[in-house]
Amino acid sequence: MNFFGGLDAESYDRTYRDRELARRMWGYFRPHARKLTWISLAILTMSVAGAAGPLLVSAGVQSMAEGVVSRVTFGLAALLFLMGLIVWGANWVRRRLSAQAVGDVMLELRADAFRATVGHDLSFFSEHASGRVVSRITSDTQEFAQVVVLVTDVVSQILEAMILLAVLVFIEWRLLPWLLIFLPVLLVVSIGFRRLARRVTRRGFRAMANVNAIIKEAVTGIAVAKNFRQEDAIYQEFAAVNAQSYRINVQRGFVLAAVFPTLNALGGAGTALLVYIGGMSVMAGVITYGAWYLFISSLDYFWFPVLNLSAFWSQVQGGLSAAERVFGLIDAEAAVVQTELRSVPPLQGDVVFDRVDFRYTHEPVLESFSLHIRPGEDVALVGHTGAGKSTIAKLISRFYEYQGGALRLDGQDIRTLNLTDYRRQLGIVPQVPFLFSGTVADNVRYARPEASQAEMCTLARKIGEGEWLETLPDGLETEVGERGGRLSMGQRQLVSLLRVLVQRPAIFILDEATASIDPFTEYQIQQALRLILEESTSILIAHRLSTVRAADRIIVLRQGAIIEEGNHDQLLRQGGHYAELYNAYFRHQSLQYIESARQMALGDKAGS
Amino acid sequence: MVVAEFTLARAPVSDRRTPLRWIGSHVARHAWLVVMASLGAFGNAALAAVVPIVIGQAFNLVLSGQADADSLLRLSLIILLSQIVRGILQLGRNFGAELLGQRLERDIRAELYVSLLGKSMTFHNLQPVGDTMARATNDVREINLMFNPGLNLVVGSANFLIMPLFIAPAIYPTLILTPLLFLVAYILALWRYLAELRPVTEAERGAFGRMNSRLAEAIDGIEVVKGSAQEQQEVARFSGDARRFRHAFVRQGEVEARFLPLLLLGIADAAAFLQGVWLYSQGAIDLGQVIAFVGLIHLFGFPTFVSLFAYSQVSLGMASARRILELINRHTELDQNVGGHGGRMRGEIEFRSVGFAHAGATTGLSEVSFHIRPGQTVAIVGQTGAGKTTLAKLVNRTYDVAAGRVIVDGLDVRGWDLASLRGQISMIEQDVFLFSRTIAENIAFGRPNSTQAEIETAARAAQAHDFISAFQGGYQTLVGERGVTLSGGQRQRIALARAFLTDPRILILDDATSSIDSATEDEIQQAIFRAAQGRTTLIITHRLSQIRWADLIVVLRQGRVAAIGPHEELMRTAVAYRRIFERYGEAPG
Repeated sequence: MNFFGGLDAESYDRTYRDRELARRMWGYFRPHARKLTWISLAILTMSVAGAAGPLLVSAGVQSMAEGVVSRVTFGLAALLFLMGLIVWGANWVRRRLSAQAVGDVMLELRADAFRATVGHDLSFFSEHASGRVVSRITSDTQEFAQVVVLVTDVVSQILEAMILLAVLVFIEWRLLPWLLIFLPVLLVVSIGFRRLARRVTRRGFRAMANVNAIIKEAVTGIAVAKNFRQEDAIYQEFAAVNAQSYRINVQRGFVLAAVFPTLNALGGAGTALLVYIGGMSVMAGVITYGAWYLFISSLDYFWFPVLNLSAFWSQVQGGLSAAERVFGLIDAEAAVVQTELRSVPPLQGDVVFDRVDFRYTHEPVLESFSLHIRPGEDVALVGHTGAGKSTIAKLISRFYEYQGGALRLDGQDIRTLNLTDYRRQLGIVPQVPFLFSGTVADNVRYARPEASQAEMCTLARKIGEGEWLETLPDGLETEVGERGGRLSMGQRQLVSLLRVLVQRPAIFILDEATASIDPFTEYQIQQALRLILEESTSILIAHRLSTVRAADRIIVLRQGAIIEEGNHDQLLRQGGHYAELYNAYFRHQSLQYIESARQMALGDKAGS
Repeated sequence: MVVAEFTLARAPVSDRRTPLRWIGSHVARHAWLVVMASLGAFGNAALAAVVPIVIGQAFNLVLSGQADADSLLRLSLIILLSQIVRGILQLGRNFGAELLGQRLERDIRAELYVSLLGKSMTFHNLQPVGDTMARATNDVREINLMFNPGLNLVVGSANFLIMPLFIAPAIYPTLILTPLLFLVAYILALWRYLAELRPVTEAERGAFGRMNSRLAEAIDGIEVVKGSAQEQQEVARFSGDARRFRHAFVRQGEVEARFLPLLLLGIADAAAFLQGVWLYSQGAIDLGQVIAFVGLIHLFGFPTFVSLFAYSQVSLGMASARRILELINRHTELDQNVGGHGGRMRGEIEFRSVGFAHAGATTGLSEVSFHIRPGQTVAIVGQTGAGKTTLAKLVNRTYDVAAGRVIVDGLDVRGWDLASLRGQISMIEQDVFLFSRTIAENIAFGRPNSTQAEIETAARAAQAHDFISAFQGGYQTLVGERGVTLSGGQRQRIALARAFLTDPRILILDDATSSIDSATEDEIQQAIFRAAQGRTTLIITHRLSQIRWADLIVVLRQGRVAAIGPHEELMRTAVAYRRIFERYGEAPG
């Protein structure tokens, strides 16, 4: 499936020199050198035994033609039998060992690729779509490892043909050109077919992607169509697409259906030629009956390697570029670099930004940014999109590298900390709460696997008297589904907050969700939030009016700079940027707005 | 008698009793393709057998010592011609099977689609869209592939298996022995091999799926992984998954390595040679016949190697056929009720001790009773899973009650003509679905003949006109992958515009949008408020402002009515309700 090659390039991709690539690849196969040796021996054995088949039969033909059938002739049959056994046995060894070698290499590569991936900072993941990273770790590694099987297959066929070729040269070289004359023709025809098939297939794929998209829509739209009683209209649309899909596929099908018939007819021409030329040579006394037979039956042995050869290079190329992609992923350089790995004692939660500069690619986000968050303080960050709110949170999490100034935690440079130690003391809730498949309990104790069941239950009951647990079919043991998909957004947020409560971090970082949540769940979320705020130093990227109000200090940001500071009431009275932000983002959450909606409704109703 | 909600006149009828009969009845409609493919398959094998026979004749000719260039040329030409004809026949086989597969894909997809259109809203609400889609695309494709390459190769190779069985005894009677023994052994070996391979392949696929999905999850949730310092655990977990896959992969390789038919082929080659030489030494056959026989046995090579893949393709196809037929045959509970009540609706709704439970629906309802006067606006509130959406869907008979009654205008909804009932009730779901057409067409979906002026008026009322006009193509802008992507709030307003055009008597709005900014919130408020004028409106909402201006509020908790009444009353009587407003009362806004 290399049809879309070139579309999946990533910025960390690099071109390796052939020697470098070979060295890297060999590094993975070297531990299996013994197996590879055995595989090679098995291939050699297979080829010799395979080539012996037509040789033995032709020797038999020769002796029968001479009218001397002796014990030796029957001995040939026994040898032929033995060769069949050897081919099967050698093939067994080869397949078995290569499955093991390929399986092990894949395992190593995957583990290395994944280890390298989780080592990257978040800028890597925001730049590279996760689906593509996944396909490098699972599919590209497989494609690379499979090349070995492919190579051994083709090598054994070519070897077999070479052995026969050597024998034929030895027997009668003058007939050889007649055997080989068809091979270039065959190669050209099969390459031509490959190109054609590729073109129609690619066109078919593109059209099918279209058709599939429309069929998907037609299926999804059924419910809507039924709601408006438009079944007939939507059926007509479907029928047109269905017919179009049929036409495209039939065209493609015709080309593919013609491949083997053409090659077979070509093969017939080759056989016919060898029958004629060979027969004439026998009559002229130039070659023996055995040689004639050998030439005719060798045709097949040259046919297959040539057919495979036409696909071989592109497949090997595919495997090599898969290897290049995997190594590119493994070698991608980390942006976050720690200068020391000091272990981190329990933190107080004192955070100091000291004239920090941060650029995202080239655009400066923070310039000479300074901020001091005191232990236990709850700070809300507000500002328009792009003001630098989440950058500040992510620098504290050490998800990104900054370029200038210093960031200190309890007086220690963040670059000197052991990150694993440090992050254990951070509680982070991203804007879209993320759960892993498993139970609610699995997710709650994700950051602290040793948390007890009793502890989790106590905490869960603290929130809204545990009312939210009622909405889960099996309480804490409820399966959340892939990415938490079986829970509502509100439930996912509650679980994420509970995870932080169980973790008891020194510093809590919340990127508040913007999703719509029912007021009852919202109430419980606020309760959970309050419990966390009591215990930790908190950095809140606030989207809720109630959260902004709960903060000790509101930091108003514009274009990476702090322009106002204070609590909600002070800032609102000030009538500056905060008042503007309030009017843009928080006004509709106020009780006044809620009450006036009622007035507006009543007034309008009376008027209409 | 239950009538499907949609049927197609003149649709061909298929036999839906069993998957085999069903596929059979579809194939029967293209009988000539079956004939073409079968003839092609037979001719292809027969003409392939011509080659070794003619080669044998050429040897005999030269051996006889009376050969000349002309007679040798004639034999060569027979080979050449027969192989060209064989190519044509093989093309007939391939293309016949291909056409059959493509036509069945087309026909079956159409049959499935018509049957889906005929099914009730209940069915579509309970049936996951992803699952239906998989059947309409992948499963239908599998049936196509079952014919080509699947059955094409099975039938094609079967002819190659049988051919030596007929031709060999024609050369000499006892020559049937080798091909016959091979065939019996081959069938047994293949049977065992496939039985052994199936569970191993499934295990491998399963291991890959698990590895892949957990990996995707870990990478999507990388912020949580890193934020909780769980990298090492994730690496360990992934390595475990990858190792399990490795074991399954090696296991499959081991089973494949033991492929017995390959050994049988080698043995058959040797046996054919042995038998040929033996009969030759007895003077029973000549050299040409030995060569023909050895060449005939070589025809077994093709079936030996294609069998693997072809049989599993056929069994995949049959499994897909079973899945599709199961979907088509699944019965549907609602019916049109063509003779039911069909008058103009006033919009009075009453729930009388309504109970509902369904295996596929997430939440049930029990003992739900309340009364809504025509024109009232009712807010339905409660936590996720409280039954809000289910309750709303009982009104337009998306679902039918299990107990009690839902009454519209004094008449049980089951007494209404379904078309008339749904025609006067508009439902806007949480996730509004738009077709990949122009915005104008999407707005006019329920009333296709609307004029541009009407569409614009509706869009203005729904506060959608401004953002639509901001697009370069205005109302002619395409929605979806090839056009613009609309936010949830924008889609909702398009749906509201739809409702303004169709002017339903009852509007049901499942509102889950959220506005980050107050200006958008203002627009949405206005749009919904206007839509609620002059009709009965049920709003499932999270917005306190909407709850505040509703005439009646129904608070659901775990499928029961926890509280009901206007705002002032609930503030006095319901603790949970009061709590959600209290936290806003802390300070002046």
